[in-house]
Amino acid sequence: MNSQRQIETVGRRQFLKQFSGVSGGLGAAHLMGMPLELAASDSFAAAGAHFPPKAKRVIHLFMNGGPYQSDLFDPKPALEKYAGTKPSGADLLTERPTGGLLPSPFKFIKSGESGVPVSELLPQLSQHIDKICVLNSLHADNPNHGPALLQMNNGTIIPTRPSMGAWMLYGLGSENSNLPGYVVLCPGRPVRFSILWNSAFLPSKYQGTYVNHSTIQPDKMLPNLKNSNWDHTVQREQLDLLGQLNADHLASRTHTSDLNARTEAMETAYRMQFEASVTFDLNQESKASREAYGSGHFANGCLLARRMVERGVRFVQVYYGNGQPWDTHSGHNEKVPELCKTIDQPIAALLNDLEQRGLLEDTLVVWGGEFGRTPTSENGNGRDHNHHGFTMWMAGGGVKGGMTYGETDEFGFKAVTDKVHVHDLHATILHLLGLDHERLTYRHAGRDFRLTDVHGRVVHEIIS
Amino acid sequence: MPLLARSQFLQLKQVLSLLIVLLSSTNISRADQPNPKADQLEFFERKVRPLLSEHCYSCHSSQAKTIHGSLRLDSVSSILEGGDSGKLLVPGKPEESLLIESIRYDGDYQMPPKGKMAEHEIELLMQWVEQGAYFPSSTDEPLQTNGSIDFTEGRKHWSFQPVLQQKLPDVINSDWPQTRIDTFLLAEMEQKSLKPTMRADRTTLVRRLSFDLIGLPPAPEQIHNYIDDDSPEAYARLVDQLLNSPQYGEKWGRWWLDLARYTDRTASWLPQTSQAHLYRDWVVNAFNADMPYDEFIRRQLATDLMPETGPEDLPALGFLSLSPTYWKELKLPCEVIKVIVADEWEERVDAVSRTFLGLTVACARCHDHKFDPISADDYYALAGIFASTRFAERPLISKEKYEPVRIAKEVVGKFEAEIAKLKKEKPIPQEKIDELVAKIAETKASTPDYDTPMANALVEESTYVVRAGKTPQDGTRMEYRAEPRDLPSFIRGNPNRPGPVIPRRFLTVLTEEPEPYQNGSGRLELANSITTDAASLSARVIVNRIWMAHFGQGIVDTPSNFGRQGGQPTHPELLEDLAARFISQDWSIKQLHREILLSAVWQQSSNSNSNAARIDPENRLLSHMNRRRLGFEEWRDAMLLVSGSLDPLFGGPSVALDDKNNVRRTLYATVNRRDMSPTLMIHDFPDPTQHSPKRTTTTTALQGLYALNGELLAEQSKQIVDRLFSEFSENDRTRITQAYWLLFSREPTVRELELGLSYLGNGDEELKRWQQYIHVLLASNEFVFID
Repeated sequence: MNSQRQIETVGRRQFLKQFSGVSGGLGAAHLMGMPLELAASDSFAAAGAHFPPKAKRVIHLFMNGGPYQSDLFDPKPALEKYAGTKPSGADLLTERPTGGLLPSPFKFIKSGESGVPVSELLPQLSQHIDKICVLNSLHADNPNHGPALLQMNNGTIIPTRPSMGAWMLYGLGSENSNLPGYVVLCPGRPVRFSILWNSAFLPSKYQGTYVNHSTIQPDKMLPNLKNSNWDHTVQREQLDLLGQLNADHLASRTHTSDLNARTEAMETAYRMQFEASVTFDLNQESKASREAYGSGHFANGCLLARRMVERGVRFVQVYYGNGQPWDTHSGHNEKVPELCKTIDQPIAALLNDLEQRGLLEDTLVVWGGEFGRTPTSENGNGRDHNHHGFTMWMAGGGVKGGMTYGETDEFGFKAVTDKVHVHDLHATILHLLGLDHERLTYRHAGRDFRLTDVHGRVVHEIIS
Repeated sequence: MPLLARSQFLQLKQVLSLLIVLLSSTNISRADQPNPKADQLEFFERKVRPLLSEHCYSCHSSQAKTIHGSLRLDSVSSILEGGDSGKLLVPGKPEESLLIESIRYDGDYQMPPKGKMAEHEIELLMQWVEQGAYFPSSTDEPLQTNGSIDFTEGRKHWSFQPVLQQKLPDVINSDWPQTRIDTFLLAEMEQKSLKPTMRADRTTLVRRLSFDLIGLPPAPEQIHNYIDDDSPEAYARLVDQLLNSPQYGEKWGRWWLDLARYTDRTASWLPQTSQAHLYRDWVVNAFNADMPYDEFIRRQLATDLMPETGPEDLPALGFLSLSPTYWKELKLPCEVIKVIVADEWEERVDAVSRTFLGLTVACARCHDHKFDPISADDYYALAGIFASTRFAERPLISKEKYEPVRIAKEVVGKFEAEIAKLKKEKPIPQEKIDELVAKIAETKASTPDYDTPMANALVEESTYVVRAGKTPQDGTRMEYRAEPRDLPSFIRGNPNRPGPVIPRRFLTVLTEEPEPYQNGSGRLELANSITTDAASLSARVIVNRIWMAHFGQGIVDTPSNFGRQGGQPTHPELLEDLAARFISQDWSIKQLHREILLSAVWQQSSNSNSNAARIDPENRLLSHMNRRRLGFEEWRDAMLLVSGSLDPLFGGPSVALDDKNNVRRTLYATVNRRDMSPTLMIHDFPDPTQHSPKRTTTTTALQGLYALNGELLAEQSKQIVDRLFSEFSENDRTRITQAYWLLFSREPTVRELELGLSYLGNGDEELKRWQQYIHVLLASNEFVFID
């Protein structure tokens, strides 16, 4: 109670202010009796935003391992000319030694009305390019998977900070208390695992909920979703008894807000069983819809993400796969078309679906890995990690479509123009959600921490 | 704010005067400018300053909300100093100036970020730099924060004062106080016209005591014994009985491990912590033995350097040696790795200073502390100690005794390597392998202490991060040297920008004149400084922590921050008095528990008087007890105890929490820093990658799901039903009564009996109904909250 009280002060204060504004007749004592937790999360959701949001929720399609930018969105014809050589500018240091420049064999097609170039490997996605803002000038600080994953998710390369999703929930709360507010879908385990969605020093209710969707049976996806002994009728009886016992317990006590909150949380959990079972159940989708997304883990992940944001989940991350599937150190040119086949249709379907349902305008879709790959070859047919310059894209949620922003050098190695650091990406995502990255702070260990530390610039140029 | 050591500041002043001379001499030599300074001034004020002001000052001046990149463009000295990225400009040479490169959008920076300036504006600034970058000396020189901390003033902060036993205040209701604590609290209550509430009833007290001291519910016999014991000493006896129980150490050891960011495991790619539990068990034993707290600090920081302790005490060093480490890819340039290593040192400074001193010294890595009298030099004086200490596994037996073991281990290692080689041959020479296997067994058997445990301990070696070859491309090598090292202070915390070297020593504000540490890394001297020079502060901090654990709120509500940004004590004299007597009573934590638990204030009911909510809604004055929700460990342990399945085994290696056969106390569940148990994660278990001052309790639906559907409650309710039916076979009424005693430490009311009986019904599924019923009781608020 006391620790909670401290943490939630702002939230509660705002809540009181708001609530008393609406119904001045309620006395303070009554408000103190409100379930604190509800009060807090509601107030954050309503009053937490610093300015009117363009996006209300985010889907992050995470190509773990790191896709190569110049296969997909950042064509570099100069690679042909200098193939096999290593001119200056192509000698940047990455994790492993690399050889000469290795041109991408894949063709680009100017797509949409905007004519933004998209790889032939993504024919369906290219039809939606006018919804997409391609950021060709991302850069990060470290070329190792672990630190880079941490930076992309938690803002720093060391594992001590809350994840971006935790900051979002802290700032905005959840739109639907019957579902977790921040869901991480991965058919397996991304490298570094739970630290990537932890709440670190933020209260634990802001952490992500990990869902392994390699099976798509709802009760196997979310832990404890289903009772293996009793059916819902029995559970209802149990909860009714619990309610009576808790009510009796409470009747003889003062200071009951934490008691109420816990009783309420049990009821919410009961409802979550139904709501999550429906949300996580792809069999509820029509055949047409399933077919539109296609099959496979990533397709299922995209469809699940749509089902979640539709029901008010604030932040859904869909990791492409177990481990780091996009980490093509060898046989790159054989692997990439296969990988692309499994993302092209699902992402196209997702963008289409969100648009059709009127969700795209306030749902931000973010695509990318923890870094990109080198234009130079590793062992002849692979590509090493490259954090100096890589591509991510965003769609919906207040972002301009049909444009590219920023450039890499002529080989696609290093971001050179309109560079976007991961901090800038975070600042921009928060901005789109109505949060000022400099004001979304949490006092811990003697100072105010932020997702963007002391960095970050909102890329206003891409905001519609 | 710029960070400059004093010596640097002097250097800068010299450079500055030199530069001014140079600038003026260049100007004077220009014959076409009779009054160059006036011209330059006019040019600057009319053309240059407006540009800087328009495009730069929102981020790079004293008016900026946050000074970005620690660069200011509004004074001579700050322009000369540059920012995080180094030198800003070379007067006379625009092409070599970062400023010009940035505004032309040519380099790593593109300034101003909102859009390139107009060409003619860029031209003007180039012209300005080319002409020597004249800047009028102004009165708004930035403060040289380093060296400017007024430590004499800083020492006046309340928490840095020596603690003294206080005079007891006068109170009206002089019958109420049982201990000194009560008098202090009552005086404050009376000031605010508050009255303490009534004493909690005896069963509530037993339950509260039991959970507070051993983390488990009381057995029904214990309750009966206490209730039947009319002697005035009964309560104090119960307190002592619980304090002397070995389970006390299990409960309070875990409490300490939150602060120590304890982990059983680390990620596979990091240094391993195979026997971390030796530290956990050391802590548990230290609490049970009531090790004086100053000794407890000294041993955790430096038992290896203490003459009075032997190798068996090395597990104490786990506080440091189990610190989080971060991945260091040695293929990368050492500039990158240096930053990661510096981050590790920062973590140690943070954990040690917050845990023991309640100070956030790590805030001073990049600049002087913004609020507290802690300089960046102070930070590097401490960081050097950790840079001079290396983690290493060490045996718990003497060097001499271990020597044959070391040799035997080498021999076994060779045999194992041979076996590995042989296994690759085709066909596999099984006979040879068998021979080697036998030799290994023989070596192990013939070497006494071969399996002696190896503690995660420390050695006195300093760490250097150096280039592996000639160029950054050659990667990095970690180098360890026997002699300790002093660190340079890093400009803006960046190890690639070393400043002047700072000798290892204690914090300036906590000593009169800090002397450099002489003895190896300085760990023992640090421990001594913490427990002598800073004894008053250290005592305040631990007393407040223990208080907080018993009351749910601290006298200071920021338990790891006793600096200026921390909370003010609600009862300053009380904290003084407790801390002073804590020291004079040989830093005894058990004595402190005793005093708190025997106080009338702790024995109050958690129901408040009617006016308390109005006068003191946050209960800062403690006119009633705070209700407390059990931590996950206590909740689970209580279930296991009540069901009779709790394994009393003490200490040893951890077991996975979700292991079906794990019926040990939750303290022994594996904490894996890299891969936390989801069950612990959703139940507010603290992040073991950093010092956790207190647990933040949240209430979530995912916890609700766990209570409704988790394996633990299902299994334990089954076990409890089995126990009730085997021990209390009479009828449902007696079983319900017994369940209430076991779970809630009390008799059920008539209504509760009726509710229970009606739920159970008369059906043929009696056992199932019973399980459901007990499941509800385990999930109920009464089981989870302590009044």
